[in-house]
Amino acid sequence: MAVKILQKKDLPCLLGKWSQSARVLAPARQDEMTNLAPWEPGAELDLGRNTWKPLKELFFPRSERMFAYTGDRMNAELSPIDQDHEQTVVFGVRPCDARSLALLDRVFLDERFTDDLYKAKRERTVLVGLGCNKPLRSCFCTSVAGDPHGTEGLDVLFVDTGDEYAVYPLTGRGEALVGELPEGSGEVEARASALADLARDMMPRYPAEVLPDKLTHMFEHEIWDRIHEKCLGCAACAYLCPTCHCFDVTDEAKTTEGHRVRNWDSCMFPLFTLHTSGHNPRTSGKQRMRQRIMHKFNYFPVNSGAIACVGCGRCVEVCPVNTDIREVISEIGEVK
Amino acid sequence: MEELRRVIREMLAGGKVDLVIAYAKGSLPLRSTPVFIRNAEDAECAVFDATCENNLSTYLPRYAGKRLAVVAKGCDARSVQEYLRERQLDPGNVVVIGVPCQGVIGRDRLSRRLSGKEITGAEMDGDTVRVRGDGWEETLQLFEVLHPSCETCEVKEAPGAAIKLGEAAAAQVAEPFALVDDMERLTPDERWAYFTAQFEKCIRCYACRQACPGCYCKECFVDRSAPRWVGGTDDPSDTAIFHIIRALHLAGRCVDCGACVKACPMGVDLRALNKKLERDVRELFGFTAGLEHEGKQVLSTFRADDPNDFIK
Amino acid sequence: MVNKEANWEPRIVAFLCHWCSYAGADLAGISRFQYPPNVRVIRVPCSGSINPIFILKALQRGADGVLVSGCHPGDCHYLAGNLLARRRFLLLKNLLEYMGIEPGRVQFSWVSAAEGQKFAQVIKEVTETVKELGPSVKLVKGGTARGRA
Repeated sequence: MAVKILQKKDLPCLLGKWSQSARVLAPARQDEMTNLAPWEPGAELDLGRNTWKPLKELFFPRSERMFAYTGDRMNAELSPIDQDHEQTVVFGVRPCDARSLALLDRVFLDERFTDDLYKAKRERTVLVGLGCNKPLRSCFCTSVAGDPHGTEGLDVLFVDTGDEYAVYPLTGRGEALVGELPEGSGEVEARASALADLARDMMPRYPAEVLPDKLTHMFEHEIWDRIHEKCLGCAACAYLCPTCHCFDVTDEAKTTEGHRVRNWDSCMFPLFTLHTSGHNPRTSGKQRMRQRIMHKFNYFPVNSGAIACVGCGRCVEVCPVNTDIREVISEIGEVK
Repeated sequence: MEELRRVIREMLAGGKVDLVIAYAKGSLPLRSTPVFIRNAEDAECAVFDATCENNLSTYLPRYAGKRLAVVAKGCDARSVQEYLRERQLDPGNVVVIGVPCQGVIGRDRLSRRLSGKEITGAEMDGDTVRVRGDGWEETLQLFEVLHPSCETCEVKEAPGAAIKLGEAAAAQVAEPFALVDDMERLTPDERWAYFTAQFEKCIRCYACRQACPGCYCKECFVDRSAPRWVGGTDDPSDTAIFHIIRALHLAGRCVDCGACVKACPMGVDLRALNKKLERDVRELFGFTAGLEHEGKQVLSTFRADDPNDFIK
Repeated sequence: MVNKEANWEPRIVAFLCHWCSYAGADLAGISRFQYPPNVRVIRVPCSGSINPIFILKALQRGADGVLVSGCHPGDCHYLAGNLLARRRFLLLKNLLEYMGIEPGRVQFSWVSAAEGQKFAQVIKEVTETVKELGPSVKLVKGGTARGRA
């Protein structure tokens, strides 16, 4: 589909048009953080950086009711939870986060075990991306098969080319949002692609691509003794990771009624693997750190065909003890 | 810095300790990172400056039984005193290396001061912090961007330090419990709204708990499943109970090192709870945590004349 | 906030020490002292065995008030359980009020086995206070979390 063009000053008008038929979410600065917020006419956008919280939260919330029940063990009656059906357009999605959804799709939309809750939210949401012209200090998407102007998982991609946006409709749903915009010239497209080159060059490279094969033979490697040592064992990295998707299922019960919920969970917690018997197959921080790295850079690639890291750099920024996944990648990359 | 490295080198070379827990330069501007030094020749990576925000004493119980040395600011050393009081460490096995602390940088505060602009490079020069980013550069004074815990710090000298490197800075610059006073000026509903807003931010990653030297329980009450004391949902009441009980568990033990606040990825104001308890413990029971390690923990003891008038 | 709905009656959870306040409640019953039927009694071995989380859980699950009652100082069956508890309760009470929970939601008393009359009186007072406060909404699970009823 051909590139379209939108004058920057016309953006609120376009968002306004979308908001007539859908809920529009866009990044805004609130409480010292940039996060997605419902957009209203006049709302100020913060498009200078990615959102602090990952996009996954919209599709896989921190805590989600799965169904309600009444009765007792012998006579339980289940009823579905009312789902929000509102059509949603998310504006300003960064390519790394869009890619994270493409990866989560491999888990939640696997045709053998389709997750209906996730699927419903995916289907009613259109993702409008914004290419990154200036990667942040902890960005490394190009090292993990991403791209600052990448389109995977997006319906539309916007690229800031100065006074205007180059707008690339990518899917039918995207076309429906921006189809009426005027077509852009080859010159605009050239400018956008030059900006992409520039952004790519700005990012240092880390040898992540060698990890999937290499890690297969490194389960018992001494490197794990070192890497985990400063880890505190919290889940800041996992909870803010756009691709970490583990959850715990529990019942919130009140005598004869309740609901089943799923809450985010993390392999960094000992409780994550604690068996009912009391046995825990992963008792040490070393084992847990290994699991997290292995899952992202070996198990997921083997099972689902891609590294489960999109290089957004959130874990680098939030780790209380500055464990830097880029350094971990380099260190493993250097192992002979 | 040279002095610090020399001390670490000599300790390890002389076989006095097995492990030194110290700070090294981090991977981001104005960040340091914990480092575990076992060989004298690795002492060169040790640093200490106002970016050394972590409380390294948190790691000590993991190595109980080993001969340890830890680089400690005043607050960190107070945590060590509490570990000793609670018999979590053998005093003969821990050497506290007290470093001259001028307070550490509050990253949230710095970010606010810079209106959220991203820092891509920085240098520290004494009390001066030079930061720069995309097309801008600024020079700040440390006192402008001190972590809130450092602003109210009453104990900059490391208590119980076997080795003291240099002189710590003068006493605190702010009234220690001003934040509690400010809170108490609000109406109860305003306060409840404030705390609820804090708890709504919480994502239950437990970074606060994990970073806290006082939270060393083998199994935390929130992780119990039978009985399950605290639900895992995002209901603010569950989160509130987690934070209230955690704060109470730290009553009389919290040294306000700020580790919880520094670790929190969501900016939850945990000091608002901890400072209240710290003040109550001091005013009602005359106790301040971490100054020494003799005597009982404040809630493991009582006095006949403890306040009684709140009981019918 | 005060709920003046005609039929509303507060639900109050009372944690009573087995050795004194629980016996005090028995005495109140035997002596036919009248007190409001709003309390649900939970017998515990000692006021010192009350974990603050019991109190918070009661409020979270919809109790409008909580009373903890133990032996008078010096009378503890376990010598000092109540005195250790006193410190914890004071911190808890202060903290809850500081956070904006209404004073009176959580109350404490010392009632001996001989004080049937006092027990009835305490229950009367606690019930009146909680009635005056209205239904508890703060800290209730799934409730109006911000406490603006």
